Amino acid sequence: MKIDLGGRNAKFVFLLPAVIWTLFFTVFPLLYSLRLSFFRYVLGKPEQFIGFENFLRAFGDYKVANAVKVTLIFISIAIPAELLLGMALALLFNQKIPGRRFFRTLLTMPLFFTPVAIGLLGLTIFYEEGGPINSFLGLVGLKVPWLSHPTWAMAAILLVEIWQWTPFVFLVLLAGLQGLPEEVYESAWLETSSGWQVFRWITLPMLQPVIIIVFLLRLIEAVKIFDIAYSLTAGGPGTSTQVYSLFVYRSAMKFFDFGYASSLAYLLLVAISLVIAFFFRRMREIYE
Amino acid sequence: MRKLNLLLACLLITMLVALTTGIAQAQTPEQPWKGKTVTVLVIAEGPKAGISGPFYHFREEWENLTGAKLEIAEFPFGELHEKIFTDLTTGAGKYDIFVIGTWEYGDLVAGDWIVPIDQFYGDPRFPEWPKDLAPSVELLYTWGGTWYGVPNDSDGQILYYRKDILTDPKWQAEFKKEKGYDLPVPPETWDQLYDITSFFNGKDWDGDGEADSGISMHLKVGGQGMFHFMSLSAPFVVLPGDKVDNVHNTYWFDFETMEPLINSPGHVRALEFLQKLAKTGPDAQLGWTLGEAWDYFLRGKAIATFSWGDVGSLAQDPERSKIKGKLGCSILPGVYEVYDRSVKDFVKLEKPNVVGNTTGGTWHGVISKLSKNPDLAYHLLSFHATVEKSRYYAYHGWEGVDIGRKNQFIEPYGTNTIEGFLEAGWDKNDILEYNKAYYDNFYAKTILPYLRIPGAFEYWTSLDQHLSEAMTGALSAQEALDRVAEDYRNITERLGVEDQLRYYRESMGYAGQ
Amino acid sequence: MVQRHSFAKKVQMIIVLTLVAIWAAFPIYWAIMVSIKPRAETFSVTYLSIPFIQFQPTLQNWIEDLQNEEIRRAAFNSLVVSTTSSLLALFLGSLAGYALARFRFYRIKNRDITVWFLSQRILPPVVVVIPFFLIMKTLNLLDTQLALILVYTTFNLPFAVVIMRQMFKEIPEEIEEAALVDGCSHFDTFLRVALPLSAPALAATFILCMAFAWNELLFALILSQKEAVTLPVFIAGSQQSRGVFFWFAATRSLMAALPPTILALLVQPFIVRGLTFGAVKG
Repeated sequence: MKIDLGGRNAKFVFLLPAVIWTLFFTVFPLLYSLRLSFFRYVLGKPEQFIGFENFLRAFGDYKVANAVKVTLIFISIAIPAELLLGMALALLFNQKIPGRRFFRTLLTMPLFFTPVAIGLLGLTIFYEEGGPINSFLGLVGLKVPWLSHPTWAMAAILLVEIWQWTPFVFLVLLAGLQGLPEEVYESAWLETSSGWQVFRWITLPMLQPVIIIVFLLRLIEAVKIFDIAYSLTAGGPGTSTQVYSLFVYRSAMKFFDFGYASSLAYLLLVAISLVIAFFFRRMREIYE
Repeated sequence: MRKLNLLLACLLITMLVALTTGIAQAQTPEQPWKGKTVTVLVIAEGPKAGISGPFYHFREEWENLTGAKLEIAEFPFGELHEKIFTDLTTGAGKYDIFVIGTWEYGDLVAGDWIVPIDQFYGDPRFPEWPKDLAPSVELLYTWGGTWYGVPNDSDGQILYYRKDILTDPKWQAEFKKEKGYDLPVPPETWDQLYDITSFFNGKDWDGDGEADSGISMHLKVGGQGMFHFMSLSAPFVVLPGDKVDNVHNTYWFDFETMEPLINSPGHVRALEFLQKLAKTGPDAQLGWTLGEAWDYFLRGKAIATFSWGDVGSLAQDPERSKIKGKLGCSILPGVYEVYDRSVKDFVKLEKPNVVGNTTGGTWHGVISKLSKNPDLAYHLLSFHATVEKSRYYAYHGWEGVDIGRKNQFIEPYGTNTIEGFLEAGWDKNDILEYNKAYYDNFYAKTILPYLRIPGAFEYWTSLDQHLSEAMTGALSAQEALDRVAEDYRNITERLGVEDQLRYYRESMGYAGQ
Repeated sequence: MVQRHSFAKKVQMIIVLTLVAIWAAFPIYWAIMVSIKPRAETFSVTYLSIPFIQFQPTLQNWIEDLQNEEIRRAAFNSLVVSTTSSLLALFLGSLAGYALARFRFYRIKNRDITVWFLSQRILPPVVVVIPFFLIMKTLNLLDTQLALILVYTTFNLPFAVVIMRQMFKEIPEEIEEAALVDGCSHFDTFLRVALPLSAPALAATFILCMAFAWNELLFALILSQKEAVTLPVFIAGSQQSRGVFFWFAATRSLMAALPPTILALLVQPFIVRGLTFGAVKG
């Protein structure tokens, strides 16, 4: 399958720089922060070993519970919404539609829009006393408290997130659809005339590997959400949009509570690792 | 031969360099700081506004005067604290001057990280400025009697209302019919203000065909809503008295145990009132920062707001404001019943308990201990603090310097005259209202104690967040403040109870029982 | 009947397409409008804010912002940091990618190494942000471009490795064999044969790396103070103690978003591959 190009050591010369770099810049910091999470760190005072106190504090801290809850809500709405919308768009543009290239281009743009910027712009777009959205909703007598109500603030963040990332799902699924063999469809249409049947029994199963990849990648990115919450709602109102990353960032950088923040970061790492372990075999198959 | 050439070339270059520097020095003997650089760390506001504006505005003038270079580093409000202490704890010393909110003093003094300016004051090498801050504000530029700050901003919240509407006989008659008493202008108690805002809320009192609001506030998390609460709650909580003790003139902590007072019945009642008051304004204000809240009042959509001096000066800008000349200002209202810790109950007073405040940042420059040119840094700050500059920036409100110095107040409250303000475009009614209200506020008999201990902003952030929870109705006032108190205990414990108690007493001028 | 049906379908389609276009483009359109609105009208002019009809556009915000010395520094920093870190990642990544595509590793299998690299990308930044901050502090590297370059290289490297591995696997091995037979060393073969053959993929990977580094906020926020401030940090700076300067938020976000967007459009056919780590062909 693979030919050895000769030279037993050459391969290591190629591989090792990247491995060493990655080890040095991730494993070392991780060890460092593991150590940190067992210490109490106060600005201008010597650090102090406190054992598992930070972790115990984290488990008893309702703010941590809240951040976890908020992040989970965010993920569990954002990802299905993006998948459904992206799938709908992909199916739409998989037909022969004039201007398909134009739309592909248009839909690529949100992907690369600086997130912190879109968050700040969101403040004008979601402005409640007659911003663009509410002014149109006002025509039918609606006034949505986008940024002043806990639930709606989450909705605002979700909308921004969905705006930015649905195109990703769309592009990938479209690529997947276009890679499907046409013959299968031709024979399928002979059997049934229901588009739903074809989608359910032909498209979906064949597209499954791609969907799983999209799902995984979105999951991984969505957990990291920071920029939008930072710039659009600052975690509020109250703590209703204080996602996990934002909470850890604040504990660490605003109050220099490095020990506690490190322990929080570590708990996240453990959680993420569990999720990844769950999907590990799947990933190995992809990169066979 | 070649060696000789090289030697000659070297010689020539050396001479040239010497000559040019000699000429440069001869030309500008009055530029003793030539070639040096001062870096100012300031909140991000850009070249045309707020606290950072003046530095851009006079940068060239000052650079010409001293021959030094001025660099400005801006960071968002939320990042400033981190940047200051990262710079200090790493010993980087990138900044010579920190333009700080005065809550930073605790951390800065505790770490011995800033330079007292007494050593420079009065030295003829530097521009001259008078020590003419109101005593309540002066306190925020000093620690234990030692000056660290150079005068710039004076922050305090006052009440702004629409004088034109409140003094309109038509509305006065309707108000009396509905509320049963004469419309008080200005309102003396918070209850009166509530009557006013609830009366006007939802009515189209400016005649543009749209319903308008009562109050406009900024209550977004990170939008400094806790300042609204502090100013408003002051008369509910701060019992007047001649000195600072565990009963009088106290707001934050117990002076003996460092136990938080923030969930005392006085605080809770104040928060319940704030919840009620917010209902007389747009719901959107729970998601507003200062800009949106001011904008709403300036566009004539709210009958009242309480905020900083910026509102007064922004109101004069015809581009942003529809209310020039229609402004009424006063010290914040009081309440008749104030909580007395000694009897653990509210006591009723003859006259409303009116409490002034220095709420806000009172943004000003302090000099970093790591600065290589503290004298030059001081020069810059002094230049900014001269009477000429101080008045200029008071006149031109966009620079965000609110009035609080004798040289800025108009007679009889200070030494200034009205002309400068009028020339800068102020309306006469507005400036007189504004002038008096700020005088009354800064020179009030009772002043809300200002929290300046280490970690002050962490304590406030907790208040800010839980306040927001109470305002959205997620928690009751009591629950929210109980959470704040719990946070306070945790923060104090982490930072060290003994230390915090010592700094708290020191910063409040508490002499013991 | 048939005709009417297809007509109705056409109308339906047009409505849907219009909605999609508005949905995708509106925020960008809105950013442009806010950036050319007079400041006082940021909130008062509403609905679609059509220039010349609803308000008189002005370039004042652009002029003022472009004159700002500090913003030029931020843009320069962004440029330096994102290109350097992407080049570094690409260099190290294509070496390792080549190794994983062409050689067989025995003790740890190729795919496990690949997945290990990939798992580094999964690491949430907030997990390592504190140690990075403290390490940079110790090394005296805070507020330097170098610190950001190191971080972004680290986060882009796994991406580059995985993508380049895929790319090299697609090049027929025979060409390289021929070069080897001719007496080229492995490195020469890599440099003279494999790399040129995968040049388009290299360029595309570079652009995606760059876009990531260009838009990154969290690390930049924490590691920069003054000298090394990047555009996203600068944009965050339009949030002020006295409210947000929406007009500057708009000008700056357009300035920041333009380069990565344009670059990304250039490599559009590659985007799907890139963003799925090579798992889906575009």
